[in-house]
Amino acid sequence: MNARHLASDETLAGFAAGQLDEGMSLVVAAHLEINAAAAKALRDIEAVGGGVLAQGEAVPMLTSAEDALARLDREPDDAPGPVRASEVGLPRVLQPYDLGRWHPIGRGVAMRRVHVPGAQARVFMLRAAPGTWLPEHRHTGNEWTTILAGAYEHEYGRFARGDFDEANENHEHHPHVDAVEGCTCIVALTGEVKFRGWLGRLLQPLVRL
Amino acid sequence: MDADALIQAIASSADRRAFAQLFEHFAPRVKGLLMRGGTPPDLAEELAQETLMTVWRKAALFDPAKAGASTWIATIARNLRIDHARREKRSRLSQVYEILEEEEGPEQPDAVLAGSERDSRVRVALKGLSKEQYRVVELAFLEGFSHQDVAERLSIPLGTVKSRLRLAMAHLRRHLEDLR
Repeated sequence: MNARHLASDETLAGFAAGQLDEGMSLVVAAHLEINAAAAKALRDIEAVGGGVLAQGEAVPMLTSAEDALARLDREPDDAPGPVRASEVGLPRVLQPYDLGRWHPIGRGVAMRRVHVPGAQARVFMLRAAPGTWLPEHRHTGNEWTTILAGAYEHEYGRFARGDFDEANENHEHHPHVDAVEGCTCIVALTGEVKFRGWLGRLLQPLVRL
Repeated sequence: MDADALIQAIASSADRRAFAQLFEHFAPRVKGLLMRGGTPPDLAEELAQETLMTVWRKAALFDPAKAGASTWIATIARNLRIDHARREKRSRLSQVYEILEEEEGPEQPDAVLAGSERDSRVRVALKGLSKEQYRVVELAFLEGFSHQDVAERLSIPLGTVKSRLRLAMAHLRRHLEDLR
């Protein structure tokens, strides 16, 4: 097996602190849900948060434990919130969000919108048939991808289920989808994607979402 | 103070004295942590109280094998801060964090450092960092600033931020690997 592609410490730290855009966060969360090594790396970073809390400076509280207990006593017993039915095979972290329908966007490639209100990034799932070449493209922003099933390969290596592909504006790539398994992934995108070639120019308006 | 045991006492017998002890220890620290991150004092007070109230409500979900008490409490404070910051925007992000925390995780339990052990190792490791490294860690890991933003806030070159973080992270990971 190839070396796994984990989200960078910078990205995990941003996620741990809750500072990433909600769309970007969702793709990182899908990665954390299905990749144990990434989940462990996050726990290390969260433990640093715990350490800083434990030895950080305390600021005296104006309210007391009794105040908090009194507020708790007045609370009605927690009614369990509505549970949303989830689709089989989808990451659980997608449960809070509405998903569009799959629709074809070119030969062997289908896309499905993930509606993330308040996100700056556009989020979608992509499903590509075995052996497909996705059009060569570059970005003006970030393109973060978590592979949910199958694999693809490009200039920066092979990316399989659980891997995280963290591309920024300096990356130009031309992914080739696994010839046997195909590939399903979830993508968050900021800025524009610029395709090359005639196929890419056909796709351009479709990917604008 | 054995914070793990206090949380478990709340879970098993709604122990109000255990809660008071936890509150006195952690609420002022959560408040301090939030204020260092730029949260105004009134809001930090409210979120610190909410954090400890959440500890009471969710005590049964505390799993000391996964995270030590301070780490668990720090993540609760983080979730509340996210919730507050995004309340107006119909954000569902705090649900995403909660779903991840409910996940059992595919990791083998015996391969994991117990949460409290991990916490105390991190505390020792943090003491070994220089003041400059500590500040960079705090900004990047707790407040979630990008490396570029950390560089700007501290008026140091980006390369310096990256190398300080790399060294600090290697140092922390060394301490965490020891027991594995």
